[in-house]
Amino acid sequence: MGEEMREMVLQEVQREMLSNMLAQGKRMDERQKYDYRKVTVQKGVLTTAEGSALAQIGDSKVLCSVKFGEMTPFADRPTEGVFMVMAEFLPLASPTFEPGPPSPYSIELARVVDRGIRSAEVIDTKGMFIEEGKVLAIFIDLYVMDHGGNLTDTAALAAAAALADTKVPNVVDGKIVRGDYKGPLNLPDKPLTCTFIKVGDHLLLDPLREEERAAECQLTVGTVDGYIVCMQKSGVGSLKKSEVMECVDVALRKGNELRDYV
Amino acid sequence: MEKMILPGEVVWGREVSASGTYLHEGKTYATVMGMMREEKFIPLQMTYKPKVGDNVVGIVVEERRAGYSTDLNLPYNGMIPTRKVRITLDMGGMVYGKIAWVDEVGNVDIGEVDRLPPGKIITVPPSKVPRIIGKKSSMLNQIREKSGCSIFVGNNGYIWIGTRGNVPLVLKAIRLIIENAHTSGLTDVVAKYLEDNK
Amino acid sequence: MGGSADKPVLFQDGKRIDGRALDELRPLKIVAGVLKEAEGSAYVEWGGNKVICGVYGPRECIPKHDANPYKALMKCRYTMSPFASLEEHGRSGPNRRSTEISKVIKEAFDSVVMTGEFPKTQIDIYVDVLQAEGGTRIAAIAAATVALASAGLPMKDMISSVAVGKVDGHLVVDLGKAEDNFGESDMPIAFKHRSKEIVLMQMDGRLTPEELGANIDAAIEGAEKVYALQAEALRKSYEVTEKQEFRM
Repeated sequence: MGEEMREMVLQEVQREMLSNMLAQGKRMDERQKYDYRKVTVQKGVLTTAEGSALAQIGDSKVLCSVKFGEMTPFADRPTEGVFMVMAEFLPLASPTFEPGPPSPYSIELARVVDRGIRSAEVIDTKGMFIEEGKVLAIFIDLYVMDHGGNLTDTAALAAAAALADTKVPNVVDGKIVRGDYKGPLNLPDKPLTCTFIKVGDHLLLDPLREEERAAECQLTVGTVDGYIVCMQKSGVGSLKKSEVMECVDVALRKGNELRDYV
Repeated sequence: MEKMILPGEVVWGREVSASGTYLHEGKTYATVMGMMREEKFIPLQMTYKPKVGDNVVGIVVEERRAGYSTDLNLPYNGMIPTRKVRITLDMGGMVYGKIAWVDEVGNVDIGEVDRLPPGKIITVPPSKVPRIIGKKSSMLNQIREKSGCSIFVGNNGYIWIGTRGNVPLVLKAIRLIIENAHTSGLTDVVAKYLEDNK
Repeated sequence: MGGSADKPVLFQDGKRIDGRALDELRPLKIVAGVLKEAEGSAYVEWGGNKVICGVYGPRECIPKHDANPYKALMKCRYTMSPFASLEEHGRSGPNRRSTEISKVIKEAFDSVVMTGEFPKTQIDIYVDVLQAEGGTRIAAIAAATVALASAGLPMKDMISSVAVGKVDGHLVVDLGKAEDNFGESDMPIAFKHRSKEIVLMQMDGRLTPEELGANIDAAIEGAEKVYALQAEALRKSYEVTEKQEFRM
């Protein structure tokens, strides 16, 4: 049957089951509600990029590449460098991902990760000026390779780790010299996200794929140490103020635990 | 483990009709990965093709004039013909039945249909289903007993698990079986696991 | 075949630019079953190439009017990541080159997968080149064969692949990036393992018929080494009982 149809039916079927289990205080994999699955981060996995990392949370796998380029600055900021975050949901990552132009989900994911990095002001774009009409650009590519749920946190983790792995290339005569580095990218902080889903009256951190299917809505909270840097509510449904505050509280705490992996 | 046979390798030097093999110039070759046990070729992983008489778990996805279109974890939905069922089924309802008819392009009719109460459906590789059931249902029965869960297993790779009982234990036991499906003495291993993790 | 202006020294003291012997493969690592969602998957590191492959199907054919009532439709999508090469950041998604490669890979597998078993469906092979260093289509085929076998899709035979070519007048097996760019000929080739029939063959450069014959013979030998590693990867995926962590 069509994957979309299957998803729709599974969503309905799983919701009741999940609420039943949660009412008994159980998650499918027996985690506590605010526990992460196994987290692994492997830095420096690509030799063709200036920075890279593979992050895995449970079965979810996201590869992040940080690559430098040269480009014309935006007219309103002629001396500032540019960075951009793009996400590619590879069709091999899930039966529901189809080849073609970026889906709203992949655009949302990239933009949430982008906002976290941008508002945390961890990339010094002013230091990326080359010469009049030319600045450095940083391309942050997020490659989703396996969808085991909670892609946002996995992607943000991959991005932070890849940035922490990044070496700044030397620029000679206005051109990047590939493979020749000035030194590590200055990264004053590591923005990460913590994503929660709401099922009935329950909030769960780091949802599994099946939990996401059953969720009413989700809330992503991006943090650096001690601060919230971005938030995104997605999905159909609503959150109480108290629930939002609870998520923020947990995210600030869990964000710091995750940062140890970067 | 025993020697693994890969697709394209000779299984028997003569023509033998067996699942996961094909015949070519007087010999029998593997089409899937498998191994030999007691002179039998055991496929380790094989795409499921529905056969008449297979037990299946399905999810009703659409009511049509001819019957209920049912998701069976197959490329196309199966059909529960209205004239064959006395019960009414709902969209999203879960059922257990037998494959009553298959045509050459894989269209399937389901018969002997029972309605299942709300529960969890998980997907497993259909080639592992025989191990999950075990000889004379020995494996399945011990999981049912130790977890207190109601469980129905379809040859199509869908497994229905009731909401009462220790569901996480069932999930872990099934995962253990899938990962070790090619090993012998699995019933005892799982028995011990169920006992230790009860 | 690039220009000769900045051509590096490809041979020195009878050894190739990276120190290999003429018939020596670059280091090749194959891991089967690396993805949870895909029905079959494999990860291949071949020299500096890093390739991941996932297989789905047989599943519903979309669009429906493409469905063949006699067999499954094989589809392949090979793409190169925008960060795959040391040079500038590229564009993501398919282009003319990747479209051609996707087509020949699809056709190679269409000749071994028993598509007649699954009429009206489609089988998808997705291969993503995460990092490239010459010979990506060969690495893609190595990964795809293992992914298809791990999915349990019935195949009449396994496929193994290698590139051979002429570099500074020498017949070499498994061309690296510099040899690919500056050599005289490059021939990626894939065989059915048992029959040694050719299911993929592309060539550019200049060869005499004698050289071509020698190339094919050398490729058969090279592909045999690749096959041994493919078989090993599949065997290993069943030997390990603990779930192995995926590492690149």
